[in-house]
Amino acid sequence: MKGNVTVRFRNTFPIAVGLSIAACAHAAAPDLLIATGEAGRYGGSLVVLERAEPKTLNPVTALDVPSRDVIRRMTADLITINRRTLQTQPSLAKSWTVSHDGREYVLELRQGLRFSDGHPMDAGDVVFTFQVDLDEAVHSPQRDLLIVGGQPIQVEEIDATHVRFRLTQPYAAAERIFDSLAILPRHLLEKTWREGKLGQAWGLNTPPAEIAGLGPFRLKEYRPGERIVLERNPYYWQMDQKGQRLPYLDHIEFRFVPSEDAQVARFIGGEADILSRVGARNLELLRREAGAKDDQLEDLGPGLEYNFLFFNLGSVDAQRYPEIAARQAWFRDVRFRQAISAAVDRDAIVRVVYGGRATALWGHVTPANRLWLNTALPHPARSVEHARRLLQIAGFRWDSEGALLDASAKPVQFSILVSSSSPERAQMATLLQDDLNKLGIHTQVVPLEFRALLDRVLNSRQYEACILGLVSGDADPNPEMNVWLSSGGTHLWNPNQNQPMTPWEAEIDSLMRQQMITLNHAHRKQLYDRVQRIAADNLPLICLASPNILVAARRGLGNFQPAVVDHYTLWNVEQLYWREPRQGGVQ
Amino acid sequence: MLRGYLLRRMLHGFFLLAGISILSFVLLELAPGDFLGEAKLNPQLSPQTLLALRERYGLDQTLPQKYIQWLGSVADGSFGISFAYNLPVSQLLWPRARKTLQLTLTSLALSWLLALPLGVWSAAGRDGWLDRTVRIVTSILIALPDLVLACVLFFVAVQTGRFRSGGPALPVTILVLAALPMLVRHVRSAVLDVSSQPYVRVARSHGIAGARLWFRWLLPAAANPLCSLFGLSVAGLISSSLLVETVVGWPGLGPLFLEAIAARDFYLVIGPVILSATFLIAGVLVGDLLLYAVDPRIRIRQ
Amino acid sequence: MKQLRSNQRLGTTGLICLHVAVLGAGFLAPYDPAEQNRAFTLQPPTRIRFVDGQGQFHALPFVMGVDGRARSLRFFVAGAKYRWLGGPSSRIHLFGVDEPGHIFLLGTDEFGRDQFSRMLCGGQISLLTGWLAALLALGLGLGLGLVAGFFGGWRDALIMRGAELFLALPWLYLLLAIRAFLPLSLSPWTTTLAIALLTGIIGWTRPARLVRGVVMSAKERDYVYAARGFGASSWHLIARHCLPETYGVLFTQMALLVPQFILAEVALSFLGLGIGDPAVSWGTLLAPLRQLAIVASAWWMLLPALFVAATAWCFSLLDNEGERNGAVP
Repeated sequence: MKGNVTVRFRNTFPIAVGLSIAACAHAAAPDLLIATGEAGRYGGSLVVLERAEPKTLNPVTALDVPSRDVIRRMTADLITINRRTLQTQPSLAKSWTVSHDGREYVLELRQGLRFSDGHPMDAGDVVFTFQVDLDEAVHSPQRDLLIVGGQPIQVEEIDATHVRFRLTQPYAAAERIFDSLAILPRHLLEKTWREGKLGQAWGLNTPPAEIAGLGPFRLKEYRPGERIVLERNPYYWQMDQKGQRLPYLDHIEFRFVPSEDAQVARFIGGEADILSRVGARNLELLRREAGAKDDQLEDLGPGLEYNFLFFNLGSVDAQRYPEIAARQAWFRDVRFRQAISAAVDRDAIVRVVYGGRATALWGHVTPANRLWLNTALPHPARSVEHARRLLQIAGFRWDSEGALLDASAKPVQFSILVSSSSPERAQMATLLQDDLNKLGIHTQVVPLEFRALLDRVLNSRQYEACILGLVSGDADPNPEMNVWLSSGGTHLWNPNQNQPMTPWEAEIDSLMRQQMITLNHAHRKQLYDRVQRIAADNLPLICLASPNILVAARRGLGNFQPAVVDHYTLWNVEQLYWREPRQGGVQ
Repeated sequence: MLRGYLLRRMLHGFFLLAGISILSFVLLELAPGDFLGEAKLNPQLSPQTLLALRERYGLDQTLPQKYIQWLGSVADGSFGISFAYNLPVSQLLWPRARKTLQLTLTSLALSWLLALPLGVWSAAGRDGWLDRTVRIVTSILIALPDLVLACVLFFVAVQTGRFRSGGPALPVTILVLAALPMLVRHVRSAVLDVSSQPYVRVARSHGIAGARLWFRWLLPAAANPLCSLFGLSVAGLISSSLLVETVVGWPGLGPLFLEAIAARDFYLVIGPVILSATFLIAGVLVGDLLLYAVDPRIRIRQ
Repeated sequence: MKQLRSNQRLGTTGLICLHVAVLGAGFLAPYDPAEQNRAFTLQPPTRIRFVDGQGQFHALPFVMGVDGRARSLRFFVAGAKYRWLGGPSSRIHLFGVDEPGHIFLLGTDEFGRDQFSRMLCGGQISLLTGWLAALLALGLGLGLGLVAGFFGGWRDALIMRGAELFLALPWLYLLLAIRAFLPLSLSPWTTTLAIALLTGIIGWTRPARLVRGVVMSAKERDYVYAARGFGASSWHLIARHCLPETYGVLFTQMALLVPQFILAEVALSFLGLGIGDPAVSWGTLLAPLRQLAIVASAWWMLLPALFVAATAWCFSLLDNEGERNGAVP
């Protein structure tokens, strides 16, 4: 088509090399991607510990983290985001073109690919995958990702190796949508889908022969509650620089161990090879223990998680919860929130809660997100005097005992909800309590079970303040739309608004919508910088700290390149290998 | 007559289970939050999808509706469907119940096999060095908070590298150490009670002494409270190892149950509750039956 | 029962000392239990010395400050404010050292809070929970046990089956639910009461069963038949003849239940359902031991567990049942 702009990527050269090698080889040979890691050797199995077992192996309906972890090793997507560089790179699609208005993408698939059961893959499988994901009857969580501008993406097969995607409006970073969207085998699932039973397909009791994917591994065995074993996919479409077909490992075993301490114990005892995230104290423990101290124990710096304190700013039924409604007069005053932010001892949080292995935050974008961080934002040091000044200006005063009173002489007190299953946030609450005491504010920490807390915050809105954390799956702002749009369901301090309640929320709304359809990165960054500035000025979320990503792996594991985005350790599992042969497998 | 007794007890048990199931449903409904709570926190899910999912899982049904649906599933053996796994609850329970029973049966056997001789010897050598040691150690173990003990043992296991942390040795040790002290105390106290009876003096005058006296004559006579206690041990076969399994990482019912509670996976919570209640009722019944078998006085009274 | 055996004397003395210490926690503790010393997190217990660097013996013990200077232990020092049983407030503490020295007798936790002070003050909530819950359980158990044992019949069956029902329910779940329902503005004391109430209600079954057993045998006595023959009402019979028989059982049960409920509160805190900061209880004091890394690196955090165990042990010394069989140490 006239006027199309062809967009090229960073990995053009290896692809060109790979293509030419493939072209010189037998005409029917598959189009393999050449991985950029060091070349390794075959053999061995890897034992990975998960906090819970997967609930399903169905890529269309899986919601929980363990399920997605396992499924991602068995499936592949069209375009993937490199977890180290956070840029997109070709996966099953070896190249793609974008129309200059950003509404049309044409992807070229690799040739000669096969699913893990040997059945050939073609564009029909891609179309099928998107049909299923978009099918309203299936209720896939993936569906919402594929709705752009209120309309679903349209998918069309051009020929056996080309697929066209049409969007109703331009969407920034649309190619990032394709990351983690698993391509499904038509030959195994089409019949089930037509019968309306796709949601129930590929549960945990499915025999391995009925499951197939394009990932580096395929299902071998599942023992309920105990472990799930994946074996090498002989038809995998990547190879290394020496021409060896990936993956190197024979097996991966996921074992389910609910408590982090038990996981650390198993690693020390030699019964596990990788720990995906550990706490700071456990890392210190590992560094001291004979069974672990020579292994690869890495502190990767901050990830994308941000922990914050927020107040209930939404409208609360004054009849039912009169106290909360009365206290909202304080919470809604921005100077109150600014004072609290000034009084928080973020350094103590980093030191005491995370043993120094965290970064203090003044905004929700962490330093790990170099592409989007607004570096011009100030990081004011803690100042209790400044906080007091702000409170004074806002009309508060102190009584003879030092307790803070508002303009009508009511003592300033409130409760802070915290999840009982997160010891770190509970500790943050304890530190915050002491900090607020210095301002004369008396607070009560209320530990609640996580579901009960969510119910209070999102449904009944019966809370005053809360400490929570969120993790972005991606550096790009688009997945976080619902946090910043005032109509969003995860706009925690005041979700699901019909109209934005404050002018700054209205401004953030328009900025977010604009950046979503802007294609130029520099321009998008300008818009998002402004969003961060407004958030820092108005403090709907008083950001506290971001924990560093701490991982552990056996010293003999080659190509171990942990990243600060999910999946921290296994994102390049096809390239992991054992430098020396291991005796037997780990039982 | 025994059959009649058994039938009556089973009928009782059946009604009890029905009552427990209804009360459990009510309690679960009371707890705030539901299965999709965490999904709501996912910024990428739209309200429409959430609504559709709510309908699919039947979260908006009234309590009686949910209960009747569940009764139907009991009839066909599946005991409801787990929201998270999309599998029948019974299918999820059996493999894990087996693993739990592995732990608890072993610790039951070990604790009783250790408690009986320890208790009897302690009673026999009353106020002697063995008795004193046993009494002091059991007092201390009972007074220590169980969970703290478990954590310390876990740490010791990791340090010494003795226990394979995935193996059954550690959890069984913790369970035995938790149950043994009380058992030893009770055995000792029951046997001592009996030893002050006049017929014991008669037996002694007949020349029956030592181990034969204590194990062959006194222990059976002291059986009454011990049978009830054994029944209670059996009753706890499912529920006693819940927390230990989660701490140690043993793939039994514990992690499944606690995760289901945290996720509000309705039917998956009810399943283990009913299972554990069944064991409780069966255990009490076992205790009573043992009593019947062991104590001739009860047989005669009947 | 009037004469106290040696073990009971030991237990009673221990318990009296414990309760006095806990009631006077504000005075005896050198620091406020919520006071954080962020520069001194996870410190081992301060060494109290009698002999200084030069080999000189001092009658008054001292501690070495961070700056290397020795600071003597002083008595009746002015410190953080506290209240005696929620009433009059004071600033005088039994002992302490001058700033910037510190005397952390049991070390500090991860926030730099003095564990010794927290242990004493935490006892207030824990003991209160234990006693209240035990009283409630005994009260309920006594009432229901009397009815079941004396009247028998359908009342007995109902109550005993009810007891089995109670034992079988998933209480963990109920506790989660209740904890979530409590209003936000509850003071920690009210939360304590609520938790005590709940655990007490759950615990009535065993005392009820035992009281029932006692009453069942008591009502078969001849004099009871005689009294009935004289036209005494059921309530009179219960109050006059059966109730006194239960005192032994009640006393024993009390001695067993209080530590049981104290330990139950510890278990609840382990599961994250305990009292929130800044209130402190033995449960929240021991909860950090959940983490392997704490047990591995901060051994002094285990010391309060020994104190709790000692408390439970003192209660068990009062146990009458054990006394019958030749005294429990």
